[in-house]
Amino acid sequence: MGKNSKDKRDMYYRKAKEQGFRARSAFKLLQLNDDFHFLDDPNLKRVVDLCAAPGSWSQVLSQKLFDGKTAEEIKDRKIVAVDLQPMSPINHVTTLQADITHPKTLKRILDLFGNEKADFVCSDGAPDVTGLHDLDEYVQQQLIMSALQLTACILKKGGIFVAKIFRGRDIDMLYSQLGYLFDKVVCAKPKSSRGTSLEAFIVCIGYNPPSDWVSTLDVNSSVEEFFSGCHMSKLSIHDKLPSWQEDERTIAKFMSCGNLESFDSDATYHLDDFKEDLNTSLDPVQSPTNPPYKKALELKRSGKLTRAV
Amino acid sequence: MKELAHYGPSLCVKFFKDFVVAGYGPFVQIYDYHNGKLLNKCRVFRKNKVHGLSINESGQLLAYGARSVTIVKFDHLITQVSLVDNEKMTTEWITSGEFNYRGDQVYLLTCYNKVFVCDLTGEILSRKTLQGERSILYSGSIKEFSPEKVYISAGTVMGGVLIWDLFLETKLYNLVGHEGSIFYATISDNGRYITSCSDDRSIKLWNLQTGEELCTGWGHTARIWNLKFFNNDTQLISVSEDNTCRVWDILQDEGNGNTSLTLSQIYEVHLIKNVWGVDIQEKDMVAVTSGNDGRLKLTKIQDTKTMNAQEVSFSLEDISTHSVIKFSKGEIIKGFQKFEFGLIAITSLGKIIQYFECDNLWKLLLVSENLVSYSVTHGIMEHNIVTFSNNKSDALLLKLSQDGRDIIAKKFMHLDELSKTNNCLVTKFDATTLMLTLESPNPRDKFICLQFDLETLSLKKKFAFAKPENFASSCLEVFENYILVGSRFSSIAIFDTLNIEHPAYMIRRISAGDTTTNIKFVETKGHTHLFSVTNRDGFYNFVALSYQNQTHQIIHSNNIVKGFLEGAYFNDNGEYITYGFKSNLFYIYNETNCYEIASQVCGGGHRQWKLTTLPDGGYMLVYIKAARLYMRKIPQSLFPQTLEEGMHGREIRDITILKDKRYHDDGFIFCTASEDTTIKVCHFNESTGKVTNHWTERKHVSGLQRCKFINGKYMISSSAREELFLWEINDDYKLHPFITIRQTLPASSDNPDLRIMDFDAIFLEHSDNFIISTVYSDSSVKLWYYNTDENKFHLLVKGRYQTCCILNTALIIFHDKLYLLIATTTGYLVTYDVTDHIPFGINETKNKLIDNKLETCCVDLPASSLSLRVHQSGIKAIDVFKDEHNDSFKIYSCGDDNAMAITLFKFDEMKRELNNTIVSSEPNSAASTVTSCNVFDNGRKLLSTSVDQVVKVWDVSNNHLTLQEEKYTTIADTGASDTVSGRDDSTLFLIGGIGFSVWKTD
Ligand SMILES: C[S@@+](CC[C@H](N)C(=O)[O-])C[C@H]1O[C@@H](n2cnc3c(N)ncnc32)[C@H](O)[C@@H]1O
Repeated sequence: MGKNSKDKRDMYYRKAKEQGFRARSAFKLLQLNDDFHFLDDPNLKRVVDLCAAPGSWSQVLSQKLFDGKTAEEIKDRKIVAVDLQPMSPINHVTTLQADITHPKTLKRILDLFGNEKADFVCSDGAPDVTGLHDLDEYVQQQLIMSALQLTACILKKGGIFVAKIFRGRDIDMLYSQLGYLFDKVVCAKPKSSRGTSLEAFIVCIGYNPPSDWVSTLDVNSSVEEFFSGCHMSKLSIHDKLPSWQEDERTIAKFMSCGNLESFDSDATYHLDDFKEDLNTSLDPVQSPTNPPYKKALELKRSGKLTRAV
Repeated sequence: MKELAHYGPSLCVKFFKDFVVAGYGPFVQIYDYHNGKLLNKCRVFRKNKVHGLSINESGQLLAYGARSVTIVKFDHLITQVSLVDNEKMTTEWITSGEFNYRGDQVYLLTCYNKVFVCDLTGEILSRKTLQGERSILYSGSIKEFSPEKVYISAGTVMGGVLIWDLFLETKLYNLVGHEGSIFYATISDNGRYITSCSDDRSIKLWNLQTGEELCTGWGHTARIWNLKFFNNDTQLISVSEDNTCRVWDILQDEGNGNTSLTLSQIYEVHLIKNVWGVDIQEKDMVAVTSGNDGRLKLTKIQDTKTMNAQEVSFSLEDISTHSVIKFSKGEIIKGFQKFEFGLIAITSLGKIIQYFECDNLWKLLLVSENLVSYSVTHGIMEHNIVTFSNNKSDALLLKLSQDGRDIIAKKFMHLDELSKTNNCLVTKFDATTLMLTLESPNPRDKFICLQFDLETLSLKKKFAFAKPENFASSCLEVFENYILVGSRFSSIAIFDTLNIEHPAYMIRRISAGDTTTNIKFVETKGHTHLFSVTNRDGFYNFVALSYQNQTHQIIHSNNIVKGFLEGAYFNDNGEYITYGFKSNLFYIYNETNCYEIASQVCGGGHRQWKLTTLPDGGYMLVYIKAARLYMRKIPQSLFPQTLEEGMHGREIRDITILKDKRYHDDGFIFCTASEDTTIKVCHFNESTGKVTNHWTERKHVSGLQRCKFINGKYMISSSAREELFLWEINDDYKLHPFITIRQTLPASSDNPDLRIMDFDAIFLEHSDNFIISTVYSDSSVKLWYYNTDENKFHLLVKGRYQTCCILNTALIIFHDKLYLLIATTTGYLVTYDVTDHIPFGINETKNKLIDNKLETCCVDLPASSLSLRVHQSGIKAIDVFKDEHNDSFKIYSCGDDNAMAITLFKFDEMKRELNNTIVSSEPNSAASTVTSCNVFDNGRKLLSTSVDQVVKVWDVSNNHLTLQEEKYTTIADTGASDTVSGRDDSTLFLIGGIGFSVWKTD
């Protein structure tokens, strides 16, 4: 299968290449925005993009916040993007290579913002998927909790938080926890997110933490400890391991996002479904990544990982 | 509803005394590994899976998984069915847990690098952390050296392994060198080493005293999940996402003191993809592994010493130094035959030599001038008979005494009627005779079969059969009075010894591939005899032969995973065992349950070799490699090979039950279609839920989408790359049900890239002919007619809905019309009236079509007659119920939007048209995608499964979705279900995803 066949199968991959985005994920954020319009707010100034590599969300944010804006408008605007992986530079985006579950990372982000609050925090984080569904979902939720921890420290009251979720067995627990911190929580699935994947996004509107809860970031405590005291029941620590109890669960409203003309990410398109000529192939915008198992791949290719011993 | 049986990922496994203790979903299962018996299955957690186990000497067991933890007595675990009342919770995911040495406390390491020290009641005695290092961990382990000295190894997501002292709460090292997340790290008992593995697929060994990196081991082709030191910390065993477990030797160079990790053994132990748990019982040197496929596998770890003791090899020089036999320069071994006493071989100079195993001696038996340069060697082991033939139409038969020391009979024959011979085959014919066949390259020459007495070697009878066209003998089987000869071109010739004049009955082109390598009689039913036939190119088939009627039918077809297939047979348990070569290995494989029994590096297929089954159940592989004769004993395992067979290693995407009749009177046959590209044919017992695997069909090359029995005989499966196969099942035989492909649906292009998402079929009256609708990922909708006699699909209707992907389809006869329904990724239910587009009439009472003997032709899909948005996004599954009483039909649907709905279709007599309305919908019917629904109990109930792992039964009797019962399932990615009526008004549910369960209603 050549380059073209991937273009044909995946319209979003193709569109990303055309529009110069580093990943097809850009359309997920754009389609969420189609319905929620959070990026169209003229007062949107300071944003944090967590788990941002290779950077297509940051590209969208940079365009929305800076493109065609006057010097006056962009004066106090800021985008901070964080990821485990290195990211090549993007205009107007400050990048940080770090683990967001590390409390020290949050400290660094806070430092970058000085004493100012952020208007919008997003996280498209996805862990290394092991195939152990419960672990993968848990780590995913921990990425969200870390993002939420930062949110609690930096997001202005009434601000918006958007994060990737896996809609697995404990997703209703997360919805219930988010309910303590936001006025409204919606589970949104952009059309560019494949129907066959568990992926969806939570759009949390109106940051509004419990009035009796003061959040304090301590680099020596974990996320769970950070939230103890907030109404999130599972996060409290007892001196005796508690017996099993069913967690609080609620179901967030589901919403499919993206306008009617959006492509279906599960469909296979025909060449004549489009006016433009699909046969012209574009080069990938993102240079090949550098996976941790690169050396193993090289050894395999050179026949050094064969079965015989 | 209750669960009768469950098969699915097992994440951890341990030896304890004579037991194997495995975490199996939320259960702990205990086996006696000597006999393979499951002793008890005890539920320890309500929902969470058991991810780790620790057992101490005094018989206490610690189990943990996600945030759950429990400490129970082994005695209770082995006697009780549930200990969930003891389940405790922590605030964070537990990464590792161990007892302390005294056995009165446990250490629990969480994924945030915190350790709870608890007493056995769960009282937290202290909490320890490493200051400033509280990021998330994928792995970790705990090593207690003394009550004061406990080390924690913690694997971070940034490639570092943190080693810290628990009580001092100080960091010893942050070991850097790996790339990517660390998936496991552990410290050796002797305190010398740390070993770790990461996303970079390597294993590293570190010096615990200095923190320096000692060496790296490469070999695994995917991620490594677990590591364990054994054999006094001189070896490591690793398990991986690449289905293998590997043994590594830790070698110390005497000279420079360098340490190295050398890969010494590889065992392919599980199905794709993951092996999660491993432990070793050093007393017996046996490893147990657990995998995503739900299998628990025992593997004898071969040490080089015993391995060497099980193999002898000789060059001709070796033989001559060990005996008085002298060989000439350039003389080589041309053939051999294994016997109980040892072996007989022949050289290129006609020297027949004998090896005596008991005293490791070689002896010259005789020299035959006739057998110089070209010879073919065979024999019959249990009768101590060896046969030789050459290319000059000579045959020599020798019978030896029991101990092999004396020749007790000898027969030499020359056949005048053959100008030349190029092949000879031998088999035992009946209780007293053997059959030897000789073939000449000349097509006009007869095919000669000689029947000899097993005692005296006297010629009993000579048969000269006319040779069929395109015939070149390659293997031999006899049955009653018939001689079955396998040939090139994937053919078999059957000769009748009672009717020599009768031309051979030929079965040609049984499968793709060329040489037929092995034919084995399986069983007889009436006048039909069943044979297993293998082909070197990897195909195997079962041929039902009725010689009397001169007919045959291929009732089963499949191919092996990879490599060359040299033969196959059924073992005493009725499991199909295959053997052959792959790359440079010889393998023996349990095809029924899909695991390797043994493998031997031998250089590959192009060599002289013979596999013999030994009386004790083991094997002897004799082969020649680089002019050396090797005799490799593969002993019978002292333990069962598996404790649990398991099923698929990846997601089950669809399940279909053959509902028309019971199998063996106690259950049903069903098929599962998986992401792993295979279809399994199994049956389950309806009272115990126990699943028996029969076949794993490998015809699809892409991940499966659907499989469905469309009647009692046909099953259809579909997948990406536009693959759709029509299968025929046959359950007439005792040993197994059999299944074969009858036809393949034509694809729309040479390089198909569409997925066939779903299909539905309706039959014609009084026949097995049917029409089938197929829906595609590019929005295509097609309708086909399949004619059984012609064995052909005819396209009747084709068109496209829009551009979105279509996920489901149904064909419905209603008010003398045929409706084709589709359900889309955009949430629409769209109905087409195709009555006038098919060349068939409609018999509504029978729900069948009438063959009007009209011509078939292909027309365009008409405009849709109804279109209704029922869901916000993709409709994952639909089921149809025709309500005869209320003159309506209903579509039950479920979707990605967490919703379920009932859409009612009625016929408006006034307007003479169909209309539909959503009569019930439940937007929050689950917390996430609802993946399957099945109507049962005559339209009164609906079963649903969803990705939040809840199985629900809804009362739908009054067109309203009323939740009746719900229950958690341990199956992640829950995505497939089917139902069948059981005995006493119960209904049985089969539920699949990552794992498989059998449930029963109360
Ligand atoms: C789906 S990608 C994000 C794509 C990005 N939004 C874009 O549009 O290009 C998920 C990212 O999460 C990052 N990630 C996972 N775990 C992380 C962690 N603990 N800290 C920071 N980044 C993390 C991964 O490195 C990966 O780059």
